[in-house]
Amino acid sequence: MIATAALVLVALVLGAALTLLVERLSTPHHVEPGPAQAADVRHSLVIANSDRWLLPAGPVVALTGVALALVVLPFGPGLIGRDLGIGVFYVIVVIDFVVLGLALAGWGANTAHAVEACYRIIAQLVAYVVPLGLAYVGVIMMARSLSTVAIVEAQSGLWFVVLQPIGFVLYLVTGLMQSYRAPFLEPFAASIGGGVLDVSAGWSALLWRIALAGVLFLVAAIGALLYLGGATGPLLPGWAWMIIKTYALMALMLWLGRLVRPFSTAQMLALSWKLLIPLGLLNVLLVGGLILLGVGP
Amino acid sequence: MTSSGPSPILNDYGFVALVLVMALGLALLVAAAFLRAPGLLMRTPSIWGQFRFGYAVYALIFLAFDMEMIFMYPWAVVFADIGISAFLDMLVFIVLLGAGIAYAWGMGGLEWE
Repeated sequence: MIATAALVLVALVLGAALTLLVERLSTPHHVEPGPAQAADVRHSLVIANSDRWLLPAGPVVALTGVALALVVLPFGPGLIGRDLGIGVFYVIVVIDFVVLGLALAGWGANTAHAVEACYRIIAQLVAYVVPLGLAYVGVIMMARSLSTVAIVEAQSGLWFVVLQPIGFVLYLVTGLMQSYRAPFLEPFAASIGGGVLDVSAGWSALLWRIALAGVLFLVAAIGALLYLGGATGPLLPGWAWMIIKTYALMALMLWLGRLVRPFSTAQMLALSWKLLIPLGLLNVLLVGGLILLGVGP
Repeated sequence: MTSSGPSPILNDYGFVALVLVMALGLALLVAAAFLRAPGLLMRTPSIWGQFRFGYAVYALIFLAFDMEMIFMYPWAVVFADIGISAFLDMLVFIVLLGAGIAYAWGMGGLEWE
């Protein structure tokens, strides 16, 4: 049990490291890299008026959330922390500890940039959670289960990306919002000094790098699980397919995200509530109709 | 799947708790490793209280939608087994949600203040 738990943390650190590499390789030199790239890990930092507990709690809470979400990710038969019955629902809950951590650190730092970032972080959550959840619901309807293992098994015939293209597009957009990558970088914008990262250095900067790379890794891995058949494929072992699908999806998301002009927080909220949520409701109805017609597993 | 605890659920969430504790331990280790890092001091005035919440209406609508979406998860799991009546039930639900968005939009709720 302890060895498996340690393996979950090792998977997180390795996944985050590979994410940093993929992100660095796929980012052109003149473009602002992802938030995980730019944190000062050489110094420690004391902020005069900060809250003694909230500020350091931030990166710890975020890292914990990412580690907990990784528990239910299947990398092949038997290669999973635990197959919890509520699988993807659990993921959607614990992954938001990243938002809580960023908000705690932003508010706790008590500097203009960080508190501004705290408000933007929460606004970003308000924008992405509902359409992201609607994308999940479409997959759950076809898989008839919340379990991550059952969702992979349900795609043994046909991947859900074919059956639910609208849901997949919703997932790509909301996944970029959830992982704070371009064009949804506003909480980490250079205009507010990198937001929460402005008040992080040393150990907290290192934890933020792991957590913010880890959240992109998780978003891509869960996308591979929900829409690309997870850890299954011909010839290669399951874990190899899972890694290939995860990083291919990640590269696709990063590439698509950079084609679009960055969104301000207000524009992102408008995009979400005026386009993505109606689209998500439509997707749920379309998937329901498909199931009634006998399409799907 | 080995079962060492009194129930599989306790065993599963015991594992989740173990990962939680070990992640906290990892964070502590990282923090301890940086104890001797050269320190910088950032002096800024306290600015709590100078900020105003700019999206209160969004937050309220969000709260309603997030709660309503929680009801969709159990529905989605059993949808395929129940069939057309579940579809019609959810159609009513989604029409109500859609009307909610249309109302909020029409009243100017989806504006950044």
